[in-house]
Amino acid sequence: MRHRPSSLFSYAVFVFSVALLIAVGIWYSEEDAAQPSTASLHLTQADWQVVEVPGFTTPPSTLDRKNLPSAWQHIMLPGTLPKAMAQPANAHADSHIQVTWIKLSTQGLAMPSGALVLYGIRVKVEGTIAVYVDGQLVRREQQQGQLWNSLFTPLWVVLERDANDAPPREILIRLEHTDASRVGLSSLWLGRAEALRGRYYLRQWLQRELPATLSAAFLLVGVFALFVWFKRRHETDYLLFFNLAAVSFVGHLHYYVGLPILNDWFAWLTANALFWLIMVLHLFLRQLHGRALTWLTCVVVGVTVLISVLTLPPLAILPIFPSTSVLVPLVYAIVMLMATTVCLAGGISAWHRSKEGRLVAICLGLSTLLGVPDWLLHNNVISPEGWFLGAYTNAVTFGIFGVLMYRRYINAINEVEQVNASLAQRLQAREAELEIIHQRLREAGQRQTISDERQRLMQDMHDGLGSSLISAIRSVERGGVSELKVSQILKDCLDDLKLTIDSMEPVEADLLLLLATLRFRLEPRLESTDITLLWEVQELPTLAWLEPSSALHILRIVQESIANILRHTRASEIKVGTALTVAGVQVTIADNGQGFDVDKALGASAGRGLHNQQRRAQAVDGIVSWQSGPTGTCFTLWLPLARQTHL
Amino acid sequence: MPTSPEPLPIHVAIVEDAPDFRDALSRVVQAAPDMHLTGLAGTRVQGLTMLQGPPADVLLVDLGLPDGSGIDVIRAAVLLWPSCSIMVSTNFGDETHVMRSIEAGAAGYLLKDSSPARMIDEIRSLASGGSPISPIIARQVLARFRQNSPSSAGNSDALKKVADPATLLSVREKEVLDFITRGFTAQEIAKLMQLSPFTVRTFVRRIYSKLKVTSKTEAIYEARTLGLLGD
Repeated sequence: MRHRPSSLFSYAVFVFSVALLIAVGIWYSEEDAAQPSTASLHLTQADWQVVEVPGFTTPPSTLDRKNLPSAWQHIMLPGTLPKAMAQPANAHADSHIQVTWIKLSTQGLAMPSGALVLYGIRVKVEGTIAVYVDGQLVRREQQQGQLWNSLFTPLWVVLERDANDAPPREILIRLEHTDASRVGLSSLWLGRAEALRGRYYLRQWLQRELPATLSAAFLLVGVFALFVWFKRRHETDYLLFFNLAAVSFVGHLHYYVGLPILNDWFAWLTANALFWLIMVLHLFLRQLHGRALTWLTCVVVGVTVLISVLTLPPLAILPIFPSTSVLVPLVYAIVMLMATTVCLAGGISAWHRSKEGRLVAICLGLSTLLGVPDWLLHNNVISPEGWFLGAYTNAVTFGIFGVLMYRRYINAINEVEQVNASLAQRLQAREAELEIIHQRLREAGQRQTISDERQRLMQDMHDGLGSSLISAIRSVERGGVSELKVSQILKDCLDDLKLTIDSMEPVEADLLLLLATLRFRLEPRLESTDITLLWEVQELPTLAWLEPSSALHILRIVQESIANILRHTRASEIKVGTALTVAGVQVTIADNGQGFDVDKALGASAGRGLHNQQRRAQAVDGIVSWQSGPTGTCFTLWLPLARQTHL
Repeated sequence: MPTSPEPLPIHVAIVEDAPDFRDALSRVVQAAPDMHLTGLAGTRVQGLTMLQGPPADVLLVDLGLPDGSGIDVIRAAVLLWPSCSIMVSTNFGDETHVMRSIEAGAAGYLLKDSSPARMIDEIRSLASGGSPISPIIARQVLARFRQNSPSSAGNSDALKKVADPATLLSVREKEVLDFITRGFTAQEIAKLMQLSPFTVRTFVRRIYSKLKVTSKTEAIYEARTLGLLGD
């Protein structure tokens, strides 16, 4: 478990972060509010007139108003000038180019002293803008015609003046345009730069920079999704999301770029991006709510492809903005219709099926609604001081998809946690199962061991103790057996039993310890004879296979060998030795008795003892051999160091 | 029997439930000129009562008593008759029985099927400070001391234990045990180590008492709970 900061600390970090943001906001707005209201002048009254001109011309650097016609009409700013029959200054009525003059008088108004700035929210005209103060040209804009971002860029003109210059008396604005378009002008502000900078920057930021930032952020998140898709090719959601971000970015580029508006590829992109956006959103919605909506999909894709192809600049079958053809509004109407249809169809399909689908449908609906003010502004239905909210469709899309991603991320974390928890549980269950299996195996092993041990002891009792006791009973029943003899038989039985018990003692695979134990047991028997036991043993390596059953075989083999010497020879000396040989160890028991014919003994039925030794030796993969002569017998037991299988 | 005249007879007490063996043993002890049978008990309770009386030199105890374990009697005797050599009588001299008895405080064991002469020898040897041992027991004792050696001890408690010389085997003692596990008799070992056979047997006695040290505190505790010792 990782270290986690305490909840108190977490709250402190949260409060600090939020407070930091709020403090910056307050500081920024205080900066603006600090300026007194007398530092600026709001100009809302103007006069205007339209003059027919032969063509687009460069505005002169100085101007004398006296040369202008005096057909001024009054207007309240902000306002859109009506399409008016121009004053035919010269005979150029067929040129269709007009100049609109707007005159703002500041004479008699209380003017702040020092350097001044002229600020206006928007000048809506397709041609060059020229601003004259007291007859001097102070600013020229849009010399090459309107730029894509012109409508979203506020006017900001610094009036260079000396401190002792007289205050400006009159501002003239010259606007060139065709006679087909209308001119719109927001109200103007004249004042010190410090007083107006706040308004200017706020406008600039909210209308251009914030949407641009969000648009870029959206694109970045799209790139992130693309990389997710690279790793998870089967999840096309991520690819669609990247596509959406890219299309959205391209579709909103015209809000920020300062390129002249021409009937070119950029215009094509800008116009068609809306269609693509709606199509991608539709495909995305389909993935979310899981309904095919075949017909709608066909129509949406068909219309999008058709319009995209027909508006290609080389073909130009359908016109697009900035064309003034009546078909342009039609194209936009199709966009609106398609967006509304996709939004409704998506919303209905996702209603009970996908919360994410509902969110995307709402996003599309909001975006469509945000497009309405744009349309209204473009068509001069509302005041030219209004906001182009279409720039924020990207922000809405980004926000909604942000919520989607947030939900997925949180769900994924929860799922992982649940999976981990259930994994731990499963592991625990498996461990318990395994433990039970082990328990059973152990029990089975134990039962097997007990069973093997019982079998071994039964076999030994049957062959040794049992038969000795039976022969003792027979002898007693037959009668004529001395008590000494019976006692001897019983003592033999007890010796047998002791060896059986010794075989179960922990000898730790030490053959020498086993032989030592045997000697310890036989010692009382040998003490009563005149035989000397010479113990000439060497250290031996451990025999890993030496277990109770094999230990008993070895004990019996050696016991039998010594018993034979005591019983059948008249030896006075027994020599017990051990030695290490090739791949084994060897136990030798030599006596100085009279010896016997080994082959004959092995052939005769009387040689049961020898056969028993052979059988027992085989049982432990050992070999027994005898070398006998008139000077004595040497018995050898060879045992392997390692056995292949000894179970 | 060629015994040197002893100034004081060996006082022998017996705790044995099997009447046959008890009688045989009593007869053997009574027949020995240098021994004197001072007490006979057939049960654990009788044995414990006997321990309240004057101490004997050798106490023969059977482990399987009808009313409990002879181990209790051995532990009580260690405390009440500290000068007495305790001998456990066993059928087979098997590791489990003998080791338990030695740890409780016994100094030797007597195989029940031994010949009378051998029994007398064993009792005499024990009374004079010697102890018998078998190869299997020797191996077990060695293993027990190896457990206490520093190489296998990890904690400070065990280190403290081995630092006590009373719980460590000397080189000679270890040598004796090694010879026994390889099957050599006390006489052979004495020859190999240039000692008297009796010294070899006293070595064994010393080893046994070292083995007993570790379980002594336990013995005191048990004796208290049995009410054999005052607080």
